[in-house]
Amino acid sequence: MQPTERPPVVDVALQSAGIATADRLDRTRILQRLRLSDAAFMHLTRAAAVTVLVILGGIIVSLVWGSLPALRAFGVSFLYEEAWNPVTEKFGAIAPIYGTVVTSVIAMLIAVPVGLFIAVFLTELCPMWLRRPVGIAIELLAGIPSIIYGIWGLFVFAPFLQQHVQPFLISAFGDIPVLSYLFAGPPYGIGILTAGLILAIMVLPFITSISRDVFEAVPSVLKEAAYGLGCTTWEVSRYVVLPYARVGVIGGVMLGLGRALGETMAVTFVIGNAHRISGSLLAPGTTISATIANEFTEAVGDLYTSALIALGLILFVITFIVLAAARLLLMRLNARVGA
Amino acid sequence: MSVAAITVPTVSHSVASTEGLEEKISIRNLDFYYGDHRALKNINVPLYRGKVTAFIGPSGCGKSTLLRILNRMYDLYPNQRATGHVRLDNEDILSPSQDLNMLRARVGMVFQKPTPFPMTIFENIAFGIRLYERLAKSELDDRVRHALERAALWDEVKDKLNANGLSLSGGQQQRLCIARTVAVRPEVILFDEPCSALDPISTAKIEELIDELKDDYTIAIVTHNMQQAARVSDFTAFMYLGELVEFGETTRIFTNPNDSRTQDYITGRFG
Amino acid sequence: MSPRPQASLYGVRRRRNAISMGLAFAATAFGLSWLVLILAVLLWEGFGGLSLAVFTEMTPPPGSSGGLLNPIVGSLMMTFIAVLIGTPLGILAGTYMAEYGRYDRLTTVVRFINDILLSAPSIVIGLFVYEVMVAQMGHFSGWAGAVSLAVIVVPVVVRTTEDMLILVPDTLREAAASIGLPRSLMITRVAYRAARAGMVTGVLLAIARISGETAPLLFTALNNQFWSLNLNAPLASLPVVIFQFALSPYHDWQKLAWTGALVTTLAVLALSIIARILAAQRKTS
Repeated sequence: MQPTERPPVVDVALQSAGIATADRLDRTRILQRLRLSDAAFMHLTRAAAVTVLVILGGIIVSLVWGSLPALRAFGVSFLYEEAWNPVTEKFGAIAPIYGTVVTSVIAMLIAVPVGLFIAVFLTELCPMWLRRPVGIAIELLAGIPSIIYGIWGLFVFAPFLQQHVQPFLISAFGDIPVLSYLFAGPPYGIGILTAGLILAIMVLPFITSISRDVFEAVPSVLKEAAYGLGCTTWEVSRYVVLPYARVGVIGGVMLGLGRALGETMAVTFVIGNAHRISGSLLAPGTTISATIANEFTEAVGDLYTSALIALGLILFVITFIVLAAARLLLMRLNARVGA
Repeated sequence: MSVAAITVPTVSHSVASTEGLEEKISIRNLDFYYGDHRALKNINVPLYRGKVTAFIGPSGCGKSTLLRILNRMYDLYPNQRATGHVRLDNEDILSPSQDLNMLRARVGMVFQKPTPFPMTIFENIAFGIRLYERLAKSELDDRVRHALERAALWDEVKDKLNANGLSLSGGQQQRLCIARTVAVRPEVILFDEPCSALDPISTAKIEELIDELKDDYTIAIVTHNMQQAARVSDFTAFMYLGELVEFGETTRIFTNPNDSRTQDYITGRFG
Repeated sequence: MSPRPQASLYGVRRRRNAISMGLAFAATAFGLSWLVLILAVLLWEGFGGLSLAVFTEMTPPPGSSGGLLNPIVGSLMMTFIAVLIGTPLGILAGTYMAEYGRYDRLTTVVRFINDILLSAPSIVIGLFVYEVMVAQMGHFSGWAGAVSLAVIVVPVVVRTTEDMLILVPDTLREAAASIGLPRSLMITRVAYRAARAGMVTGVLLAIARISGETAPLLFTALNNQFWSLNLNAPLASLPVVIFQFALSPYHDWQKLAWTGALVTTLAVLALSIIARILAAQRKTS
């Protein structure tokens, strides 16, 4: 939708004012100067807008440039080799990629249902006076810096899991064929599962507030129509509210996933930093961001540094795809609802 | 402008008296509060079985509020409460022990804005049926068809039952909502300004519908369109500022109202 | 008249409703309990170490006592510069998107990209600044740290500025134009003033966001255990010091890490609360 070209406002103002000639000349000069600064301002703002694109371009270019030595040395095998050996300078990304994906999946598996149920609570069940406090509490949870989650995880959560939860999991699943591998091994406390759980707590407030906003936007007439048929609250939420809000919820979930994939500090403390893929969720592992955070400043040699940057590039590509898909979905939603 | 200038269609709505008419819903001493504000004052009005009762009055007089009490819709909102007695057959609707879902199964509602659920046309109807009955597929199909036929929509949608409910026109959507309400087999149907969002042709179709539905259901309709009330209803209640000013047979209300306020409203002096 | 609904079906529906509502309640309790747990532990562990020394003494070598003065100062400096760089850039970009180019192609693309940058992994931003500043300059620096934080500030400010300016009613703009006000003045004198509270909220939220950011600082500003105001060299920051101290085996350092965490969290929460109060005022005015 292009706005039609309008004559500069100042001219219009002058013309309509019908000012006398002499005054008009003075005024014209002043307004001419103003017009220049006006145009300058517009170009300044446009340049600033373009800068945002430049930043993105810069990120992509610098990551690719920095990864080139590693990519040249390893090629595609970088993506599936497990070995990560600074001494022999053999680097493979599969362990960090695996860790990134698995911890994020665990986080979403927990955070999405819990977040949706909390959103249902907040929109349908919660008494009015409680709604704001609970909403604020959820947002406080979102505002806690991730490093706090990290040290809390390391000093409080991981030991708790190690002493009380993991032994239980190991023995409970010990005899079941497939799951015994998933929950095997000594209870380290730290590990992939722990990192996934911490991520879940971090992503939860995000999913909750997006879902809550989308649920609240459902027109109350629609809910009343369902209640009018005699539906229970659960039936209204499940069969009317959720389908109506479906696209928004999916968009929110994908945004949450994007955040989880890129999360560094919360995960670094509790993942265990082992460059290998184990079958067990209780074993230590690593994620892309944890690897970079832990090793970048210690990295000696161009190839090592380049391998780490290549990891960063992979992470950026993955999160870019997820976030772009989420934004496209949400744009489609807004278009449908009618801006 | 004299009262006689309002043309009242004769024939279909002449009712001699209220003898022998059963009160499906009895409203006695009803007050309603939004917070501290008393929106309805001591309402006493009957809804007769098998008849259409219209509620008319200027904006803000409380007619929609009254309608929404009959299926306890106000229960969804914390600050609203009702006192008094509303009896459906012999049950007091307002009592706290009243099962709301059961009540709403018996008292259906069609809203001002057409509200198809985000489902297919078929599902919109089937959804309500499934809440209450477990039917075999063929029985379900029949029920859906029957509901759509009663809503005069079947011919228009029979080939696209799997299309989304939102793909229909406004008038069709409203008839879909009526079909949905009818499918659940209520005893009372409440219409809250059902045609105000619709074009004249759809409006006419729906008024025809209401006339047909009257045989099997007790109907209450809120409308700000006096001519519609005159066309469609057997009994009319005129409300003003939260009070029930006058109630009676539609023909009499529109030709010979007792209260001067009713007369003023009908002749268009205010409202 | 109408068949009474099958009792068993209704019973099933009621049970399902009760269970689901119970789950919703439990989920909320579950979510809130984590908040309580984390804050409780934070207060418990960090409060004990909270003393004047934390704000006046420097980071100690392991085994002796000290404070967090240099990381706090370093963080304040870098945050300040990041806001100084990022805010004008963000406001100007948001202004273009809302005022000059509201419906044009550039704005659509920038909005899309900006939203992605908003959620981009901050460690990747750290890598980016490392490549363009640290590697080029040959050393770590507080400037690099500030720039990486600025890159995080920009998308937040762009988003809030654009949203707030779009909310300014067109009637206000038309009134300004009708007295002959040139476009740039209309924006800066009228629109900005109308959107001011919202834009300030945006800046506060951006500050809250970068106050807790660790990853981008890890290899841009690095760390510095001595007192330094030199932005051209490695500079201590609170999150990085917490990172280092918490992962160390020294008890003194771990205690300081908790205290630092408490200070950071309180600062972030305070900023969020102020931002929220401002937003609420805006709604009522």
